[in-house]
Amino acid sequence: MPLLASERLGPSPPEATRPLVLVASDRGRQIIRAANAAALAEGLEPGLALADARARVPDLAAQAFDPEADQACLEWLARGATRWSPLVRACPPHGLLIDITGCAHLFGGEASLVADAVTRLARLGFSAQPALAATPAAAMALARFGGDHVRDLPVAALTMVDAEQIALRRAGLQRVGDVARLPRAAIAARFGEALLARLDQLLEQAPQPLDPLLPAAPVMAQRRFAQPVADHAAVRVGLEKLLLAVRVKLTAQGLGGRRFCLALYRADGHVAEVAVETAAPQRDVPVLLRLFDERIAALNDPLDPGFGYDQMRLAVPVTAPLDEAQLGLDGGALAETQLTALVDRLTARLGRGRIRRLARADTHIPEQASFDLPFDGGRDHWPTPEPGEPPARPLRLFDPPQPIDVIAEVPDGPPRAFRWRGRRHVVAAHEGPERIAAEWWRRKDGAGLTRDYWRVEDESGRRFWLLRHGQQGSEAAHPRWYVHGLFA
Amino acid sequence: MPVSGRLPLDGGRLDAALAGGLLLAGCHEIYGPAAPGFALMLALASRRPGPILWISDGHTGGRGEDGRLYGLGIAELGGDPGQLWLVAAGGVLPMLRAAAEAQRCPALAAIVLESHGDARAIDLTVTRRLQLAAAANGLFTLLLRQGSPRPSAALTRWQAVAAATRHLAGGAPGLPRLALSLTRQRGGPSDITNLLEWNRDRRRFVAAGQSAGQLVPIGAAFARRAGQHGAAHPGAGLAAAGQRTAGPIAA
Repeated sequence: MPLLASERLGPSPPEATRPLVLVASDRGRQIIRAANAAALAEGLEPGLALADARARVPDLAAQAFDPEADQACLEWLARGATRWSPLVRACPPHGLLIDITGCAHLFGGEASLVADAVTRLARLGFSAQPALAATPAAAMALARFGGDHVRDLPVAALTMVDAEQIALRRAGLQRVGDVARLPRAAIAARFGEALLARLDQLLEQAPQPLDPLLPAAPVMAQRRFAQPVADHAAVRVGLEKLLLAVRVKLTAQGLGGRRFCLALYRADGHVAEVAVETAAPQRDVPVLLRLFDERIAALNDPLDPGFGYDQMRLAVPVTAPLDEAQLGLDGGALAETQLTALVDRLTARLGRGRIRRLARADTHIPEQASFDLPFDGGRDHWPTPEPGEPPARPLRLFDPPQPIDVIAEVPDGPPRAFRWRGRRHVVAAHEGPERIAAEWWRRKDGAGLTRDYWRVEDESGRRFWLLRHGQQGSEAAHPRWYVHGLFA
Repeated sequence: MPVSGRLPLDGGRLDAALAGGLLLAGCHEIYGPAAPGFALMLALASRRPGPILWISDGHTGGRGEDGRLYGLGIAELGGDPGQLWLVAAGGVLPMLRAAAEAQRCPALAAIVLESHGDARAIDLTVTRRLQLAAAANGLFTLLLRQGSPRPSAALTRWQAVAAATRHLAGGAPGLPRLALSLTRQRGGPSDITNLLEWNRDRRRFVAAGQSAGQLVPIGAAFARRAGQHGAAHPGAGLAAAGQRTAGPIAA
């Protein structure tokens, strides 16, 4: 789409014939970076100064050149292009690469797929120059320079470097075919290996992998509609059929999906994407349908069908082995299933990472010893407290600890009173210190302050976990005090 | 006598007012600074199998202004931290929706809803819905609230604050104690306050009045260190007052 930059701005019909250029500042001058068809017809090529162009075409419209918006537009188009094949890549500044291997028959052959693509892009206001080739490099070159055969293309298709192009021309090589006829060793010696590799890709002799926008999913299913559907119920029926199709494929491979992505292609090129994740591998249609319902209900921007969706695709990018389920005879399996389903529904509604579990790490540093993780079904081993003892650890932990002012009887002794959140608390009972040494073996310098912890109860009965950071004298002249937690 | 489906608290005035204990298939409101601790103790004391779902209206699970829930501290109260599932709903309405979802899952032990600030969205209709769902599915639902009490359809309303503990030998703070006020009960007496001590090892409350004297004798303290267990039954322990044989654990 060589005119992407100007066509993106969507000219209204009377404007379409008016010359438009997109300009950017370059050393104080306004230089044309892109132009529309009418401007190109007037001979206003990119690289010309705006002042010169105005002299030639007085009623010239000029707008700012915005490569980032062009890039975003190209990526938006690339998402839309996944309707033809899951393997699509945006190729800046204005190309789209679509790997249609094994997809063309779905659209009635390569020719009609290309025609469909050109028509759809034209409907969006983009004029496309399609090309089909066995490698992305060849396709891009053919699309850019036109022509039917790579060997007839100018040497500019081989290299973007001006110096190399000039060198090739000086050697009397005008076309790609001329270069291809030379001995390979000579080309490598004169122009480098990179040019040779590029030549092989152009001549469809070396494979060139496509780095797709979306990774290819191992399992997917899609449906196309002759008439766009705008009705939510109809979309839901379509989704159910896709889920059924996906379930058949998953069952055949003994797999279940952990992530399901639904892409809804609107007739006007927009793509809406909805994804759900499950805590355990899943392929049950009613369960998944319900998760999708939850997810769609929780969307911040509800699905807007516009003039309707004409295609939908369900991909399962993440799968895991799932054996045929056997109905559990005991209640334990049933409870487990119910809980997994609950976690899935809450995740679908609230989003990933909102359901958390408490995890444990083997360290003495209190704030690192227990933390919360996104729910993953894992279980840790927790220490059993000493029978009969009062709790040695608080129910709630401040992270980071909250600094307080403390009055102690003796400098190294227990706290007598402290001020926390603007209120004075007189210590009625205390136990401590519990000394926790810094993890000197983890630190390079072996440094780190010793922590002294006190369990403290104030006059009203509130129980605090106080921390003195550093030993008086040997580690700190004035150790700082903190409230690190609150007991129940 | 324990009444089935009810959670006995103090074996005394509170249980008498509650007709045998807190109804498990219902929604209860808790106010006060010690509300999270009380809720966790209630959920543990209910002894129902399955995880406790702790749904907070904050954006990070269980870490409001009062810090985050600490796994080792939960273990110290007799709970299994792996069975406490945190949900950060990120708002009052998402929290209520998540609660509605969770109340349909009978495999949960209890649901704790923690709202911060003066949550006006939790009104009579919302609490009625919570109460109906809790009663229908038999799910123990606890609603932690802040601010001044608002009209509510919950079965009971509690005010929970920490109370001075019975100090151990050497002046150390003792087992957790809460001053609990039943400030409102639907169709029952209210305005009853009692001091309850949490016994982690038995996962139950004990009325503080039934425990032994103010200070633990040194001998009992040694017994405590040695991990001896008393045998007195709290429900029957009217005679326990003043008896030294009833150690602090047995209290």
